[in-house]
Amino acid sequence: MIKQLSVFVDNRPGSLSEITDNLKEAKVDIRAIASFDTPEFAILRLIVDKPEEAKEFLADKGFIVKISDAIGVELTDETGSLNNLLSFLAEADINLNYIYTFIYRNRKAPVLVFGTDEIDSAIKTLKDAGEVLVDHSEL
Amino acid sequence: MSKIELKDWQEKIRTPEIECISRDEMASIQSKRLVEVVNRVYDNVPFYHEKMKDLGVEPGDIKDISDINKLPFTTKEDIRNNYPFGLRAVPEEQVVRVQGTSGTTGKLTVIPYTQKDIDVWGECLARELTMAGLTKEDRIHICYGYGLFTGGMGLDIGVSKLGATAIPMSSGNTKRQMMCMEDFGATAFACTPSYALYLAESLKEAGVIPRLKIKAGIHGAEPWTKAMREKIEGILGINCFDIYGLCEISGPGVAMDCIHHKGLHIQVDHFYPEILDPGTGTATKEGEYGELVFTTLSKEAYPLLRYRTKDITSIDYSRCDCGRTLPRISTFKGRTDDMKVIRGVNVFPTQVEQALVSMGGAVAPHYLLVVDRVNNLDVLTVMVEVDESYFSDEIKKLDALRDKVGKVLKQALGIAVKVKLVEPKTIQRSEGKATRVIDNREI
Repeated sequence: MIKQLSVFVDNRPGSLSEITDNLKEAKVDIRAIASFDTPEFAILRLIVDKPEEAKEFLADKGFIVKISDAIGVELTDETGSLNNLLSFLAEADINLNYIYTFIYRNRKAPVLVFGTDEIDSAIKTLKDAGEVLVDHSEL
Repeated sequence: MSKIELKDWQEKIRTPEIECISRDEMASIQSKRLVEVVNRVYDNVPFYHEKMKDLGVEPGDIKDISDINKLPFTTKEDIRNNYPFGLRAVPEEQVVRVQGTSGTTGKLTVIPYTQKDIDVWGECLARELTMAGLTKEDRIHICYGYGLFTGGMGLDIGVSKLGATAIPMSSGNTKRQMMCMEDFGATAFACTPSYALYLAESLKEAGVIPRLKIKAGIHGAEPWTKAMREKIEGILGINCFDIYGLCEISGPGVAMDCIHHKGLHIQVDHFYPEILDPGTGTATKEGEYGELVFTTLSKEAYPLLRYRTKDITSIDYSRCDCGRTLPRISTFKGRTDDMKVIRGVNVFPTQVEQALVSMGGAVAPHYLLVVDRVNNLDVLTVMVEVDESYFSDEIKKLDALRDKVGKVLKQALGIAVKVKLVEPKTIQRSEGKATRVIDNREI
């Protein structure tokens, strides 16, 4: 399981750099970052090396931050691997709220991150299908 | 101490012969006094003499209280234009005191009093302190500011009239307030509600509450909610009361609520209230909201006819469960000067605040109203801060929260509202006069 930071941000110039400025000050390493366009506000999702410290530091500065659980799956770098994985989830009727990817530095492999309301059944489905789940401690 | 529950409350009434009489009996007192005051201002205050002449009204036209609508209005600007003592109705030697208010813009408002004015003011407060269950046995810690401001001196005068002990602390220095409150064994205290809450929390932190003898709090001079009252009552284990007044009319004590908290009882034998449509200046139907307008019926030094307070409220004339017939004004809905007419509907920022508070913490009660005109149509946007405890990792949940806020506001205001969720602490905090409305319309 991956501990992901979610930060509420206004859609305006500079709102992202305010967060990265603070993370730099807190000496937190960012592994992955994702946000999707919405008209007024957005949720910035981050995977960092020290989620608890990062949350505390940002909350002290007045940001609204949550640590939430997301699932990370290591993909093989070949055609159709993402499609396979998504098919397993679709067959199990698991709804995804968001997905994004980043590169797993140690193993030079792509990692798919997703959020769902049905975390437990998603994990079981993927394990049963032989997919490789990534734990936060391995990052 | 512990808060006295309503069922265990023993109501005391200082002057039942005034506070509990029928509406007709009260009207006859008011009529007699109105005729007197109209004659006095016509003879002694050139400003009113001119105004009445302009309207073609003579003192003889005013026969009873129902003729009050023939009289001219007085506004804050009229008082400013006659600064400092232009509206005085008695010779200098009869004046024994002045009190005032600090206008944040422009000149002070300063009001002279005769000894009788002070006595009436004190008597009104003594009735209200009695309404709060206090007697001459009590010690009242007054941490309203003393000085020109009517809060400190007003309560002091009322406590003297009651025959209780006044502890004139004035404002500031919370540590010293706490020490004296404990050492002197105060049984009640009076200050603004925001300071009361601050003081209560400081007392709790210092662990002195079990050693206090406080049983009542008298708070006013700024708007506060029922939730805030219950919070102060809960921390200190006391009963709190809402007091209202304005220096133009006398000071604190023009009205106060009783233990039933169903509106503030106005001392109508001295201060005659009308509720008027702020636009047309005509009386609203009884029980409907409008601008509160006061005529001072017994004031000697500085009588005012139909003074427009700009406060929006309604009046209930039914007999209260406490036994009093003094009519009650409801919680202020706002002020005529921050009221906005949006798509023909009157909107007060306080309605937004109340609606947000009613959502029980989903959003912080910090908001900003922005009014725009798009394609000749008014658009109201309410910016609301997201509260940490309700922040969700999912856009769909935040969207749902925004829609819920929109629905609650639409129900409260009667018009559709565009809600914009913003980061915490990005909206200016309400200290003094925070900007609550930005009107971008060019009308």
